[in-house]
Amino acid sequence: MTINLDISTAGTREQRLGSITGYNGDLYDLANQSKCGTLKDRERCFSQSSTCLSSCALGQLSGIRDIAIINHAPSGCTVTAAGVEVLNAQLATKRGVANNTVFIGTDMNEQDTVFGATDALKDIVRETYRRYQPKAIFIGTSCVSGIIGEDVDRIVEELKVEIPVPIAPVHCEGFKSRIWASGFDASDHAVLTSIVKPPEKKNNLINFKNFFESARLEIIELFANFGVEPMFLYQNSTIEELSHISESLATVCICGTLGTYLGNALEEKYGVPYVRTINPMGVIGFETWLREIGRVINKATEVEAYLEKEREYYLPKIEEVKKEMKGLRAVIGMGPGYTFEVSRVLLELGMEVVWAAAWHYDDKYDNEKAPASLNYLLEKSPNNFKVSVADQQNFEVLNILNEHQPDIYFSRHPGTTVWAIKQGTPALYVADEYMIFGYRGTLNFAYSVLDTIKNRSFEKNLAARVKLPYSKWWYQQKNSTFLKEEVK
Amino acid sequence: MSIITEGPRGNCALGGVNAVLCAINRVVPIYHAGPGCCMQTTAGEAGQAGGRSPFYVSSVSIPCTNMLEKNVIFGGVDRLRETIEGAIEIFEADAFFVLSGCTAGIIGDDIVSITDEFIKKGLPVYPIETPGFLGESYRGYEIAFKALLTHIVKPAERQNNLVNLLGIMPYHDPFWEGNFEELTRILEKLGLKVNTFFTRHQGLADIRNSSAAALNIIISPWLLKSAAQEYHDRFGVPSLRWPSLPIGASDTSAFVRAVAKELGIEQRGEQVIAEEEDYVYSYLETAIGALSWKQFAVIGDANTVVGVTRFLANDYSFTPIVSIVTDPVFRPEDIERITEQITKLDYARPPKVIFETDHWKIHKELENYKDKITLLIGSTNDREFALEHDIQCSVISYPITDRLIFNRTYAGYKGSLTFVEDLFDNL
Repeated sequence: MTINLDISTAGTREQRLGSITGYNGDLYDLANQSKCGTLKDRERCFSQSSTCLSSCALGQLSGIRDIAIINHAPSGCTVTAAGVEVLNAQLATKRGVANNTVFIGTDMNEQDTVFGATDALKDIVRETYRRYQPKAIFIGTSCVSGIIGEDVDRIVEELKVEIPVPIAPVHCEGFKSRIWASGFDASDHAVLTSIVKPPEKKNNLINFKNFFESARLEIIELFANFGVEPMFLYQNSTIEELSHISESLATVCICGTLGTYLGNALEEKYGVPYVRTINPMGVIGFETWLREIGRVINKATEVEAYLEKEREYYLPKIEEVKKEMKGLRAVIGMGPGYTFEVSRVLLELGMEVVWAAAWHYDDKYDNEKAPASLNYLLEKSPNNFKVSVADQQNFEVLNILNEHQPDIYFSRHPGTTVWAIKQGTPALYVADEYMIFGYRGTLNFAYSVLDTIKNRSFEKNLAARVKLPYSKWWYQQKNSTFLKEEVK
Repeated sequence: MSIITEGPRGNCALGGVNAVLCAINRVVPIYHAGPGCCMQTTAGEAGQAGGRSPFYVSSVSIPCTNMLEKNVIFGGVDRLRETIEGAIEIFEADAFFVLSGCTAGIIGDDIVSITDEFIKKGLPVYPIETPGFLGESYRGYEIAFKALLTHIVKPAERQNNLVNLLGIMPYHDPFWEGNFEELTRILEKLGLKVNTFFTRHQGLADIRNSSAAALNIIISPWLLKSAAQEYHDRFGVPSLRWPSLPIGASDTSAFVRAVAKELGIEQRGEQVIAEEEDYVYSYLETAIGALSWKQFAVIGDANTVVGVTRFLANDYSFTPIVSIVTDPVFRPEDIERITEQITKLDYARPPKVIFETDHWKIHKELENYKDKITLLIGSTNDREFALEHDIQCSVISYPITDRLIFNRTYAGYKGSLTFVEDLFDNL
């Protein structure tokens, strides 16, 4: 087991799981090397912007209702806080609740880098508690607080004596990891060590780790068929609800990358089973996932009855739309929790995956086993396809798109979607984590793919007129040109 | 010392520099910074200023050393060198600017010695030391101008009809392009050529040649003081500071008169004023009574707050109640200048003027006026307050996350009509 809840930090995925951000090869090689434990990271001698684990860590926590996030950092690290509060207000209103969470920065300046700012931080925590009366306070660390050696753990211990709500450090210094998903683990670690209590009695809930609970009603309805209820984490969760997640029947997750830390920790520490199948996307994914839930909560018969009824309605429609999708060629650029799952769905729909790029790769999760999606593809994919691992690296993606000229590019990050479209490739931004969920999601996703491909007027007209910054030279190189040899 | 920052109305210094560079055609910033800095600065600045991403290189396409722990310990200059080499191969650009973030700043990586290596080879790679902790967006704006003056602007022969239009910060002012376009249109009617550095794909050539201008026109009550001084001392270019965004006939005509006087083209100025005022009032007379009378509060950057207060009070018969300036203005003379602009009105009783950056305190202040105010003009941060108190709200200052803005403007003559249209749409 890789998780240690007795220390104040979750560590990084590089350290804990041996995860990588540099690889160029193909599916079979990646899966086999994962199995044999021979996979090595490759550095780049040129790189473009990556992303900070802090935004994943604090972004996850900031969805919790009525708390305070204090980012101990210079002003720029908190600049999107205004947007977070708008998003929180919208998502709370959508659900009919109120969310009074505040996201605050400590605005560290040049003087602080010389003299330290722990006293100021303490005052800010006190003032924050006085102003907003939050139900819990999470203090995020940053590159600056980390380098100058601010002892946030000590501050937290001292403040616990005077402030009567949970306070926890969130160790998310940006320089710690190239893998922003390490931030998900940092947020889970903070919740597990400061909020979650040992179980007193079992309840009727299934923990559902997700981003924005956009399929809330659909899943409540789905789970009602089996007499259980979902408990969505963390957007719109309350501190009281989170303190009881150790009492749930099971933990499931919309994305393996997002769920590994919390799911495995709850199973390890409190015996809450973690469902680790392939994701509930596409027909096979949904059925595999739901059957495993049925097994865990002893509702296998009810699950089969439900699936049979739904299959009858949806499968003919999915078969019908598949006729139009046969042979369409796709490139994917997403986090690894989606890259390999979406690849599987595209193959199910009869499409061809010409290149799958993952923003990082965990060759094992916190249960020390390889992700289910890779094993599935290794066994079932009709053919091998190209795979690369890169912390985004827009220049590599555009090179791949230029070389392979796919019918469509799928991404889960808006920035990279934009650049594909500028280059003339139709692109579908898989923004909603539930976009391909279940039978209905899979069918709608297929329709969205066809809509994107059928009218390419904007992409064509735009690409003909916009000047991209990349040199002709670059488009003539291999996309792996700037990868160095293996390290570690 | 650190202070509480909730709902920040600005980025860090790095974000400000980046906003400027990303608005210049064929310029590529190279970050020597942590892995999250490009995303935070782009998403925080352009992303929250009307929801766009800059056109040539921005966010995920910005070269970055993505400094990790080992760079913190062992230094990151070798990593920076190879990143610059790669950037030169991959990008077509007229200039590369190496920007240092907090991490590089604290560990003391010497970026100048690295950029010098490239300069010696004749490659346009320039350093800008800008750790985020130096200050906020406007500090970055000033730092960027200093860098442009140091590395790009060269002496040139005076052009009597050329002016530089400065003071409107790209992206941080969500309406920057529209504002530049409308003021450029008016200045061109005066027979002038206008350098904005940023619009209409202007680029390094225009910046290099900006020393030829007959006049710098600085649209801001407090920014670019040292840049103005440097233009004066090195190139003999005088500056005219216009202490707000001119909105509507009164202020815009006063602006035109001031520019015309400075350049000795008063007669042409009066012709333009007559034509433009006729244009504006021909429209205004067709929608009398469309908007009922309002008592308003305005919250935002100094340019917007002064401009809006003056337009609505002096030109549109509304009553100003409170004007809150969220810029971190620090010089007493600038605070005085801004206060004077807001309080010395031609018609209305002057509003209360407040300088405040803290979101919580701003809203505590607003509580005092909530029964009087019937129109709140502010940022996305302020919409909730307006909704809660059933006050009409118009979002026109940073941060704006609920509007898409291309070339919309409230500046000048035409912009004032758009402003009135938008106030009606928000009823």
